[in-house]
Amino acid sequence: MTGESLSALALSVRVAILATAINTIVGVPLAYLLARRRFRGRAALDVLVTLPLVLPPTVTGYYLIVVLGRRGWLGAPLYAATGWSIAFTWYAAVVAATVMALPLLVRTARAAIESVDRDLERAAHTLGRSEWQTAMEVTLPLARNGIVAGLVLAFARALGEFGATLMLAGNIPGRTTTVPLAIYTAVQTGETGDALALVALLTGLSCVVLIVAGRLGARAT
Amino acid sequence: MPPASDRSRLEVQLFSRMSTFTLDVEWSAGDGVVTLFGPSGAGKTLTLQCLAGLVRPERGRIVLDGRVLFDSSTGVDVPPQQRRVGYVFQGYALFPHLTVAQNVGFGLRDRPRAAALERARAVIARLGLDGLEDRYPRELSGGQRQRVALGRALAIDPALLLLDEPLSALDLPLRQALRDELRATLADWGAAAVLVTHDFTEAYRIGDRIVVYEAGRVVQSAPRGELLWQPASEKVAYIMGIRNVLHGTVLKASPDRIQLRWRGQTLEAVNSPSRSYLPAPDTPLAFFIRPEYVRLIRKDRGPADPHHHMNLMRGVIVAEEDWGTTWTLRVRLDAPGEPAQGTYDLEVEVPRLVHEILEIDQDRRWEFSIHRGSIHVLPS
Repeated sequence: MTGESLSALALSVRVAILATAINTIVGVPLAYLLARRRFRGRAALDVLVTLPLVLPPTVTGYYLIVVLGRRGWLGAPLYAATGWSIAFTWYAAVVAATVMALPLLVRTARAAIESVDRDLERAAHTLGRSEWQTAMEVTLPLARNGIVAGLVLAFARALGEFGATLMLAGNIPGRTTTVPLAIYTAVQTGETGDALALVALLTGLSCVVLIVAGRLGARAT
Repeated sequence: MPPASDRSRLEVQLFSRMSTFTLDVEWSAGDGVVTLFGPSGAGKTLTLQCLAGLVRPERGRIVLDGRVLFDSSTGVDVPPQQRRVGYVFQGYALFPHLTVAQNVGFGLRDRPRAAALERARAVIARLGLDGLEDRYPRELSGGQRQRVALGRALAIDPALLLLDEPLSALDLPLRQALRDELRATLADWGAAAVLVTHDFTEAYRIGDRIVVYEAGRVVQSAPRGELLWQPASEKVAYIMGIRNVLHGTVLKASPDRIQLRWRGQTLEAVNSPSRSYLPAPDTPLAFFIRPEYVRLIRKDRGPADPHHHMNLMRGVIVAEEDWGTTWTLRVRLDAPGEPAQGTYDLEVEVPRLVHEILEIDQDRRWEFSIHRGSIHVLPS
């Protein structure tokens, strides 16, 4: 493999790991809230989190530009204050991968949390545990397999993210070119040998992920 | 069995509108076990959840041993963590990822570690769970699971113990054995307890007092013996599954006797002086006769004596059911008009031995007698 392919691989892995870490911190509490709490705006939050799953990735990417781009709602004030914009940096690839992978984690983890018998939580409450303690000692441990399966799926999704990444991070060789983007570039320029190696690698990795997620999912039920 | 004192330990008053029905109940209880009895969906489990603080009713008041747990008028709502109420859930809700010892000790975390371990060990020993400490719930039998659930709730030394259908997850033979074991355990621990069941035998066996629920309301609350013989209404009799609930008209009522007319017969029943129920003549009246209290007159001992045999009737057996140890006979009386219960007037239950000795399968025509104390009037 060429140096460019290797650097794309290294970037992809780094982006996927970071995106999965952020997903763990944001997605698990989000899944818990959606599964167990009734609050105003819950349905809207549910739709917002799930949208990237059904929208074309380019549309999600477009919204990310609208929010984070140099002239975006958040991006403009940030650029005015610091002269820096997240667009076309590798951080943008992390943001795009995070947003695209979030619904996979939230939906899987939420289903696992919802399948925990509520009487177990009620029992913990009568035995002195607060809601937080109950979540940490009862609900989340019992939903663990489902949550891990969701994280594995989210990692795979982050690794393979293309459309939204291209919109927000661009395709700058050595800086924002992840494996899917490298494959696209390789095929476009006729360097099929390199593309094939990356294709085989991603396919193999995805198979492993699906097997692991499937086993965890089976154990969860 | 500890005597049920008149001292009220638990006062419950709840009002809560749900999507399908409205819970609106008020009852109180002294020492011993109270059973909430009634059909599914009557609000029994919801009541337990309100008592434990897991569900907040719209209005109401819950006082346990003088301690106000909930009072909507003053805004008191003690959270479930601080109510010290033990809850045995339907299906037990044991933590599947924890061992027996960890389950039993779950509510003891605020105690010093050594004391908590000692307490868990003592509870495990007292409930006969020694040797199972390191097992997981899935490795236990149904009866063992029930005891772990009971132990987990009792370990926190609860001021009140709540049990939701604690026997319904068990097979019938085990269920009968554990019913008596549960009764003994509750008496042994002396905890005030509220038990929910839809099985009258269970309600009667375990409860000192029975509160009858129907569609979110209390239709009767009475000591168990009183409920058995004096259901407050036809509705209560129906929920209890009482057979031979019949309708006649009043001939004459005095404080200790009621004469009534039914299917061309004049029946004499005992009135309950304590209820001072004195309906006017010709008032329609519901009453019931327990099938096992209808006597068959033996033919080998001469003709029936109307002075000795009260409420004498004649009829023919039109159908019968074999229940193993007993037979249920369906009797149509020699009286004109439609039978009271479709094809028959009375259900009569006789022990299998009597059925054999009297050769009832050969002989279908009998005389019957019912003691006036066995005809129970249901106030409308």
